[in-house]
Amino acid sequence: MNIVMLLIVALPLLAIALSILADRRVTQLVSGMTGIATFGLAVALIPGVGGHETGHRVNAIGILRADSLSVVFVLATSFLYAATAIYSVGYLAAEARLAERIGGTEAAEFARYSRRFYIGMNVFAWSMLCAPLVNGLALLWVAIEITTVVSALLVAIDDTEGATEAAWKYVLIASSGLGIALLATIVMYYAGAQALGQSYDLAFDPLIRSAQHLPATPVRLSFVLAVVGFGTKVGLFPVHTWLPDAHAEAPTPVSALLSGSLLAVSFYAILRYYQVAFARLGPAFPQHVLLVFGVLSLLLAALYVIDQNDVKRLLAYSSVEHMGILAIGVSFGAPLALAGVLLHVLAHAAAKGNAFMGAGVLVRTYGTKSLTAIRGGLDRLPWSGPLFLIAILALSAFPPLGIFRSEFQIVAGGLQNAHHTGAVILVALVTVAFMGLGLATTRILFHPLDSHAVHSAVEHGDDALQASHLTAASPNGAAAKSSASASGMLAGVGAATGGLGQPSGARRPRVPVASAPALPASPNVAAGTDTANDPDDQVVEEAAGTSTGRGEPSIWMVVPPIVGVFVLVLLGIHPPGALVELLQHGAALLSGGGQ
Amino acid sequence: MLTISVIHAATLARAAAATIGPAHPGSTSVSGAAVRAVAATGNSGVPSVFDGAANTVAIIVLLLEFMMLRTALFRAQIRLYAFQSLAVSVLAAIVAGGRHIPELYALAAVSLLLKVIIVPGVMFRFLRNSRAEIAGSGALGVASEIIVALVVAGFGFFTVGVLGIQSLVLPAAALSLSFAVVLVSFVLMIVRRDVVSQAVGFFSLENGVSLASLVVAAGLPLILEVAFLFDLLVAVVVFGVLIRVHQARSRSLSTVSLNRLRG
Amino acid sequence: MTATLPVPAIQALQVLTIAIGSPGISGVIARVEARLQGRVGPRILQPYYDLAKLFRKEALAPEGTGPFFLLAPIFSFACYLTVPMLIPVLTSYPLPLGYMGDILGGGFILALASFVVAVAAAETGGPYAQLASSRAKTFGAITEPVVLLVVFSVALVTTTDLPYVLGATVRSGPDQIVRPAHLLASAALFMVILFETGRIPVETHTGTIEFGMIEEGRSFEHSGPYLALLRWGSAAKQLVLYTILIDVFIAPWGLSSTTRVDQVVLAILAFLGKCVVLGCVVAVIDDSFAKLRLFKITEFVAAAFLLAVLGVFTLYLGGG
Repeated sequence: MNIVMLLIVALPLLAIALSILADRRVTQLVSGMTGIATFGLAVALIPGVGGHETGHRVNAIGILRADSLSVVFVLATSFLYAATAIYSVGYLAAEARLAERIGGTEAAEFARYSRRFYIGMNVFAWSMLCAPLVNGLALLWVAIEITTVVSALLVAIDDTEGATEAAWKYVLIASSGLGIALLATIVMYYAGAQALGQSYDLAFDPLIRSAQHLPATPVRLSFVLAVVGFGTKVGLFPVHTWLPDAHAEAPTPVSALLSGSLLAVSFYAILRYYQVAFARLGPAFPQHVLLVFGVLSLLLAALYVIDQNDVKRLLAYSSVEHMGILAIGVSFGAPLALAGVLLHVLAHAAAKGNAFMGAGVLVRTYGTKSLTAIRGGLDRLPWSGPLFLIAILALSAFPPLGIFRSEFQIVAGGLQNAHHTGAVILVALVTVAFMGLGLATTRILFHPLDSHAVHSAVEHGDDALQASHLTAASPNGAAAKSSASASGMLAGVGAATGGLGQPSGARRPRVPVASAPALPASPNVAAGTDTANDPDDQVVEEAAGTSTGRGEPSIWMVVPPIVGVFVLVLLGIHPPGALVELLQHGAALLSGGGQ
Repeated sequence: MLTISVIHAATLARAAAATIGPAHPGSTSVSGAAVRAVAATGNSGVPSVFDGAANTVAIIVLLLEFMMLRTALFRAQIRLYAFQSLAVSVLAAIVAGGRHIPELYALAAVSLLLKVIIVPGVMFRFLRNSRAEIAGSGALGVASEIIVALVVAGFGFFTVGVLGIQSLVLPAAALSLSFAVVLVSFVLMIVRRDVVSQAVGFFSLENGVSLASLVVAAGLPLILEVAFLFDLLVAVVVFGVLIRVHQARSRSLSTVSLNRLRG
Repeated sequence: MTATLPVPAIQALQVLTIAIGSPGISGVIARVEARLQGRVGPRILQPYYDLAKLFRKEALAPEGTGPFFLLAPIFSFACYLTVPMLIPVLTSYPLPLGYMGDILGGGFILALASFVVAVAAAETGGPYAQLASSRAKTFGAITEPVVLLVVFSVALVTTTDLPYVLGATVRSGPDQIVRPAHLLASAALFMVILFETGRIPVETHTGTIEFGMIEEGRSFEHSGPYLALLRWGSAAKQLVLYTILIDVFIAPWGLSSTTRVDQVVLAILAFLGKCVVLGCVVAVIDDSFAKLRLFKITEFVAAAFLLAVLGVFTLYLGGG
């Protein structure tokens, strides 16, 4: 078991080394394989922490420690690591092809960009894998600080105005929050020093074992500081303000990792403090604190979700909502609710990853993040459209998907422990959020693409769409057929868009606005009945690169969401027995077991 | 209540001194002793020399934080941060000597190296290419900022003081002062409108946390403290990179343009 | 056989020391400042000659001013000479008339004197005098609370507000000197002194730059003996404030503890010596910093306020 943990921590290091040295394709291959390997290792870790009521603990090389709680978060992170590593192959594919074709400085710049991207992503994933596995509150803080700094660089990697602003906001707010969390660590150290002697490291087991002997006031202060400090990285109200910006302006694989894993890992830190506080102060105080923060986050997110104009921001607020649900779930305190919380972590990782990946495909296809401009998604993207729809339904707790089961467990646990008000508020606000998500998604996916939508988007001042509309005026039906002229047209459109400055959603406009010439105002094209386009429309299953009209940009962007849906269905209908046991052990740990 | 006790003590002092009066030639300073006696009964919470010196250094840290609210030049702010880190390192050395914790000498040395020499050096490097010298004007005037920061510091002071956390190493007032430093650094970050001041505000927040760790966590294993410091260094580098990126994009160090993302 | 002085004589001696010594201290400061600037500078006894000259001159009063204008210099001088009776100047034991007022009373009398001079200046209608008096009162509105807070910190430390007791407390051990509250209160009081005596960074003491006149401008319209009294009173105020700072806060040593003549004489010499040292410090500050812009003076006094408030906070919380 120690070997497994060591491998989980060591393999991404290998990937990091290779991403520094090797070229892009090797890096992509190794990253993907590392992701899958860590996921497999995490699954292999499950039996090791199984066993009696609360599960065993596995230690390795003194600073690593795994118990049921850690393995849940490692599972979520490693799954997303694998998914986004594979997804990013497709995400960068279009640019890669363009860079190869143009050559020269463009190619060198893209090579630099992709190197930085992969180094960043691998370091980010490595730090997020380490954080649940380290032994001790101090090392936990160090790991989360590393995630902050790396993700800040990743958010800024796109070098647009929005990305710069979002990265600065993120690094300032998150680092300040972690400063408060450091204060919490220190105060907890002080509390522990009364029982464990003046010089000890904040390892979990001795601290929880001697929790009864800790003085109450420092533990209380430390818990509140930890909730506020780590809550900054979780995205709890009122310190969530960095979240919509950072998740919206980062590249899509990074957004998926941020939303799906980083928030969860920061919540893991709060859970560790919760364990100590629960052991010393009893259930009342920690649960009240978490309930307040959870309800406020959920309320704010539900309200903001209703009126959004940016698809990734919409998903970011949905993340805030789900983190609020996590906090509320923990505050309910029943073992059923706690198991639901842990299941929610897994399901949310899968669902949010899916949603962001689908949103990334949408953004890539339409060249904009604006919700008013994206129309007819189901028709344009025969795979990603439905997958995005399933992801949004999953986020809104639709049966039979995983989040339905986890939220059901949370609400049932709440009603068990007579937290009626909390459960009612939870259900009501989740419904409000569903309304917001549902409205936006139906508009994106189901509304047919027609000139009305395009004109209204032009009114709203959407630059990219305007540009594409202007170029669409030229006869391009024939251009869609031959890829040569299409690429020429695309290059031209790309230049045109670049000349217009930064549209709200497009990254640095080296990426050809992929489907711009295919947006002429004829529903026929969208419906795919235009016979002239037929042979080239069958690009769905091939990595044919730039989409021309109907079709997926890349298969690599489709496969991970399919796997994600499979996981969600599995978690919703019949989670494996070992997993259920793992969740129950984790819940027992949070209810005061684990001595 | 204070005035009543003052009056009582005043009458007491008057009575004491009046009965003694000026000493006759040849006698020792009896009246001085009487006044001293009254003085001794009057004050009960006199800190020892060590405590007083430590508290004074902690107050210097807080005062430097306030001074950062006032300085308008970037380089001056970074120098103030260096002084503040120096004060914290000096305090670590004082604690190491006074409380016989030799590990803290090493910590003082490492923190001196990192926070007084390397971090300001890195920041000066990042500023070298920018021509901007003066920090962006804050949201309030300096005097108002000081008043607001004073209120906030007082709040932090008293809320932590009420908790009654006693430490063996340093007086409890130092912990309250460290929380006040943290809160005032938040005020600094909120009020200033340029990236360098906000970054320096964050660094001084970390100074406040270091001060708190000296008070209540002096025995934290050296390796963990050094890990914290290196984390700070990494954060500084990231801050610097982002400052460079921001500057390259908007050709200024002001955050006034960072208001596009809303809602 | 050591001679002793009767106690009332010692009290009178305190007042005389302040009255006679104050122009000398001004002269020393001016000389040291000039030397630091590389000039030869005026002789140390120059202020005495100036006062003598002014007493011989004719006095004029602006039209429309009442008797208040002529009474103000006399009244303020009297106030400035009353305060030395209340504070420890030469002795470490309280003198009989020292119970007329405590340190709060002393602060009140000083403020009263300053107020009277300001009113007289405002009464004249002359532009510079009015400007200076309004400025002085504006900034005084912030410095008065600082003085009060300093007094409060004294009271909290000793639970009395007799300056003699605080002096004894400070003498009682090194732990009293290193206390943060004590250091903060001393620093705040020093900044107030810089403001009250019209030194850099608040005002250029010797110049008549009208943009910055606060202290100097108030005596603009007086002439002759009244101007002499104002100047003398200003110097006396300076020395009184120095006395409070030195003999109560910073260096309450060298005070006579008996009534023996030789000890009293030594006390006078020690006192003047300490004031000269403080004057040199002020001269160095004068030559090291630039005058603040007028609206930046609020920052300066806000800083003094900050120090005083922090001192009181640390006392309340313990550990101060």
